[in-house]
Amino acid sequence: MSETAHRWIEQYPELGSGPISTEPYISPEWYEREKEKIFRQVWLCVGRENEIPRAGDYKVKRLAAADTSAILIRGKDGKVRAFHNACAHRGNTVVNETGEETFGRNKAGIVTCRFHGWVYDAEGALKQVPSEQRFYNCFSKAENGLAPIHLDTWEGFLFVNLAETPDASLAEFLGDYATHFAGYPFDTLDYGFTYHTYLDCNWKVAHDAFAEAYHVDTIHAGSFPNVFSTGLQNVKLMGPHRTCAVCLTLNAKPTPVAAIANAMAGASLVSTRAESMLPPTINPDKRADFAFELSVLFPNTLIHVAEGIWFTHQFWPIAHNKTLWEGRYYVKAPQTNGQRWATEHAMTLQRNAWLEDTATMEDTQRAMQSRAKTLQHLQDDEILIRHGAVIVDRFVNA
Amino acid sequence: MERLCASADVPEGEVFQVDLGDGRVLAVYRVDGQVYATDDLCTHGDASLAEGEIENGEIVCPYHMGKFDIRTGEATGAPCSIALRTYSVVERDEAIHLI
Repeated sequence: MSETAHRWIEQYPELGSGPISTEPYISPEWYEREKEKIFRQVWLCVGRENEIPRAGDYKVKRLAAADTSAILIRGKDGKVRAFHNACAHRGNTVVNETGEETFGRNKAGIVTCRFHGWVYDAEGALKQVPSEQRFYNCFSKAENGLAPIHLDTWEGFLFVNLAETPDASLAEFLGDYATHFAGYPFDTLDYGFTYHTYLDCNWKVAHDAFAEAYHVDTIHAGSFPNVFSTGLQNVKLMGPHRTCAVCLTLNAKPTPVAAIANAMAGASLVSTRAESMLPPTINPDKRADFAFELSVLFPNTLIHVAEGIWFTHQFWPIAHNKTLWEGRYYVKAPQTNGQRWATEHAMTLQRNAWLEDTATMEDTQRAMQSRAKTLQHLQDDEILIRHGAVIVDRFVNA
Repeated sequence: MERLCASADVPEGEVFQVDLGDGRVLAVYRVDGQVYATDDLCTHGDASLAEGEIENGEIVCPYHMGKFDIRTGEATGAPCSIALRTYSVVERDEAIHLI
């Protein structure tokens, strides 16, 4: 591969090199079309299987961009299924939601509507209706189970699809993305933290802010000083999904406290490590400056993997200019107090970097809404943003 | 005496279903070290109380959150209003028996 200043557009000329319109970021009408053509059509990553490990465990996930909430429940048969959180009686939510994600457990493997006590099992069947004899002959319990949602899993991630009949299976939808990341130990790196907040910006503004490393030298001068030099490597576009390697200058002198933490746990993105847990598809040339793989699982999930660390960002649209951001960061559980401290240090550093990242987003949205500038100019290392814009356009205009 | 289950089947604060195979299905409990037994079927709905949770000496039905006093069978929380049948049990030789 050539290392010219325009290497990515030479590899993917079909994306074009012109400026990108800001209209899809600020138009309520465009957002309505994204809801219909994207969020109600494609597979959406809604969690991890190990969030609901036991029979009867459930999680309710709000999906504003598809105008529904999904109950994800593990049955007595060990299988996770998904249903709309809507009662067949008079349409109330079956599980009372306390936020974007509501967790619960019922050993009987059922959920009960707290309005009139209708009971549904984890296969969605309506099990019990109080005073059932007062309903008329035309009412049949067998025909009034929970409305199912398509659910499938990949590498321990739970996906739902809100379409009545999905255009593609999850495996078909993921395509080469699935093989690229297959085998990474997502399950054993399960010690982490989560942040979430609402941002007054379009979901693509949030996506774009995380889908390039060009910003690191400026925004993260405080948390990760002088680490970004070599930029992106191994850009790979896979259908609607995209990935690349972010390479950092790993010999930049860390702060004294970061140096101690890196030696103890290696839980920070800017520490060097000897062993490899990465699949052979990731950093195939074994570059010494490889820091992490930055990938976008279309439409709204970013999965990053590195040695000993993986983290995700998800951008859930609430409105054309409002987004729920969820950040999750995972490492191996520490074994000693020293490692515990070092891991906490790395997580705090990462939290700071995320605060720096999210700080730009609302400003970007406000400025875009002024329509003072109607175009964005992308450089070659911002190819993931360009690909994202092309793919969204393709879906919305399909 | 009729053997219901092993002592180890019912840890402290837990409830265990015993199907005697003759139509009788019991819920066996251990609360503060003492063992108790009631009918397993909730008197309100179709739920197995062995799938409920024990809270402060009461069994909470998994279907509608109604409650019964484990010691007496008394219905102590709506929508349950009819008492549960209780059974006398004794723990002997690492097993729980119906008297």
